[in-house]
Amino acid sequence: MSKTYYLPQSNEIELFEAAAGMNLPVLIKGPTGCGKTRFIEAMGEKLGRDVYTVVCHDDLSAADLIGRHLIDENGTFWQDGPLTKAVRNGGICYLDEIIEARKDTTVVLHSLADYRRVLPIDRTGEVIEAHPDFMLVVSYNPGYQNVLKGMKPSTKQRFLSLSFTYPKPEIEKAVIIKESGVSEEIAQKLVNIAGEIRRLSDSDIQEAVSTRLLIYAAKLIVKGFDPHQACMHSIVESLSDEEDVLEVLQKLISLHFSA
Amino acid sequence: MDQKVGQFWDRYVTKKASRFYEKSQISFEDKAKSLKIFYHLLGGDKAKELHITDKRFLKTSRTLLEKFSGKGKSFFLVWQDDKALYFPATLAFFEDKKLNDMHYYWLCAMLAHVDINNNNIINENKKMANFLIHKYPGFQDFYKNAEEFLLGKYPELSYINPLSEDLIDDNSYPNPLWIYPSVSNNKTLLDFNDEEEISRQDGKKDKTEELKMKKKAEQIDDEKETDGLLLFLPESLMSLMEQVNVDRQENDSFDEDALYNAEDLDEITLGKKDANLASRIKMDLDISANSAEDYPLGKGFFRDEWDYKKEIYLKNYVCIKPQISLLVEPLPLPKRLEKMMRQIQGELDLMELDRIKIDNLPHGDEINLDSWIDYKGHQNRSNHPQRFFQSYKKKTRELATLILADISLSTESGITQDIRVIDMIKDSLMVFSESLQRLDDKFGIYAFSSIKNKKVNFHIIKNFKEKYSDLVRGRIDAIKPGYYTRLGAAIRESAKILEKQQSANKLLLILSDGKPNDVDRYDGRYGIEDTKKAIEEVKQKGIVPFCITIDIEAKEYLPYLFGRNSYAVIRDAKKLPKVVTEIYMNLTK
Repeated sequence: MSKTYYLPQSNEIELFEAAAGMNLPVLIKGPTGCGKTRFIEAMGEKLGRDVYTVVCHDDLSAADLIGRHLIDENGTFWQDGPLTKAVRNGGICYLDEIIEARKDTTVVLHSLADYRRVLPIDRTGEVIEAHPDFMLVVSYNPGYQNVLKGMKPSTKQRFLSLSFTYPKPEIEKAVIIKESGVSEEIAQKLVNIAGEIRRLSDSDIQEAVSTRLLIYAAKLIVKGFDPHQACMHSIVESLSDEEDVLEVLQKLISLHFSA
Repeated sequence: MDQKVGQFWDRYVTKKASRFYEKSQISFEDKAKSLKIFYHLLGGDKAKELHITDKRFLKTSRTLLEKFSGKGKSFFLVWQDDKALYFPATLAFFEDKKLNDMHYYWLCAMLAHVDINNNNIINENKKMANFLIHKYPGFQDFYKNAEEFLLGKYPELSYINPLSEDLIDDNSYPNPLWIYPSVSNNKTLLDFNDEEEISRQDGKKDKTEELKMKKKAEQIDDEKETDGLLLFLPESLMSLMEQVNVDRQENDSFDEDALYNAEDLDEITLGKKDANLASRIKMDLDISANSAEDYPLGKGFFRDEWDYKKEIYLKNYVCIKPQISLLVEPLPLPKRLEKMMRQIQGELDLMELDRIKIDNLPHGDEINLDSWIDYKGHQNRSNHPQRFFQSYKKKTRELATLILADISLSTESGITQDIRVIDMIKDSLMVFSESLQRLDDKFGIYAFSSIKNKKVNFHIIKNFKEKYSDLVRGRIDAIKPGYYTRLGAAIRESAKILEKQQSANKLLLILSDGKPNDVDRYDGRYGIEDTKKAIEEVKQKGIVPFCITIDIEAKEYLPYLFGRNSYAVIRDAKKLPKVVTEIYMNLTK
């Protein structure tokens, strides 16, 4: 298996390794497509630990994380959930978009996320002590706006926080080249465009262009698409539905890639 | 007949002299929104506004025809100051419409990059034009075409040719591709900094006389001495305009005449002057007397305000006066709102469908299979709680909402002949409280208006502890439009109240009808920056701010203040009562 490519933005690898060494849970926040999930995968490989990923949603129950009784021909048996598996066997349990989960669900993490590092399972009466290699990682995107969603401070304050943003231009350029195989000149232009569009976030568009979208554009260009077209489809149209914004973004693309 | 010939000749010469292509003209109106976004894209200051520029007179060499027709003496130059960007109303330099369109974007890009404080504006323009050409291939094509075209069409512009030796001075024909310095660059602007502090009530009160009239206030620069009479000549039309030196900076001897004159004029011109003439007339402009029976609660609190120029908080600068209307009649829900409430009830019922499942009940609506299986797998079944049922219950929402209504004088204005903005705000508050009452959510209602930093009236309509009742409705009904909108202060006060609530989620809902403003410097950028700061503080406290406005131009400033997802603009103010409640439900679903 090929090794996952990850280029660090700053000292996040050292911090994550230190956290893993000290058995501290980690909270990662950052906008969509900035490399959160990729980072966890890369760290899992680096530390030699399995990654159990759970994508959270508002119907996620504690049983979905911990496990439940199931029935087969011999009667009932207990099936571990992803969290319990990671706790027993060691590994990174990664809860993606944790604020989507209901707050009463995330409370089961509390005893795992502090010095106790135990997981009590009410249904079987078992209290599992976490494997030394067990690590809890959660992530969320602080950009979403809903009054009722958000992390409980008591949950939030159990984690070491890493804040991700879009990578610096040089790093982003390198990532785009590596992922898509596009020429350095085009990659530089894509990064310039991204830098300009990101100035609009928070005021004119909901969320700025992600590194992921830039890679899509680069891939289309490598496939032989006209750069202007590629940017329109992968970047501009994905960002907004408002005509004014679309017009200006289109203008920007045509300024960079004169058609 | 003579007149007709004259008119015809004038039109002919003017047209002949005009070197614009009116057919391919692009107007600023159509481009304004896009240009603003473009300006942000290129890193421009998001607090700046975009405006149309006036003509500016320049001494230049003109063609014979231009001299004949009177054209070419004044120009629509592109410039900026620290508040706004100024564009010509239309652009039609080029025959190709696309070039004219691009011309606006070019100017916008130049505005985003040219440093207006650079003294050598010509070099700065050249440097930035070069920079843009190299950065954007799209601009490179435009610039090449534009330059060629302009050189062919305007011999006066020969200096833009890099090969040309022609010197540029102040009298050169303006280059349409360049940015020009601001008009007021060298003039000191009226600075209110050392004026109108609260502390200034020391014993000189007797000199202050109140003048409560509707006055149009205007600031002019009166460095030159004129003695109360000004001859003014706009477009050869003679007009007389009287000018009274009302000095707001000095408090020396009292001049009765000035007060007398002020009463007589339609328009009062406020000027900056350090001379002795100086009665200090305290004027509340555009203000109606507020005669409501408002009972002040205590002497008021002092709150900080953010000064964006100095980048510091002005400590205890604003005085907030909480008050409550007494002598109000309890009022049942007005008949006119009943139909709307029924409609909303339908949506409220849907909200209640959003229920939470409760497991492990000894009896309930359904059997919970999970707990049944759990029981089957339990080692000691007699120890099992044997609660196999589940039920659905209405979610109790951990949410406290404070609704803050702007009741400045501008809400007095009419939507239709019979309905004023304030009526809609009142209806909104009633429908909103009715709905929240039914949802069983915690809420408080406050309204505010201000007169400078000295008095921000903060009306308590319903606090969080009080039960919603007919009396609250009576208070809503008794709301009267007040003075101005010192939004920052009101937001800070509301945040203080919300902070004390125990709920996990806190929402600050602001109902507004326009920009923050007040009679002192709290207007334009100052007000916007203070409000932005106040909103940042609110967010830091874990409170979610949301603004609902009926100001159609709010898109110009609300994204900067609240962020993109935290505001809504209602075009039809009559829908306000329904929409406010719907927005609330959407926000908290």
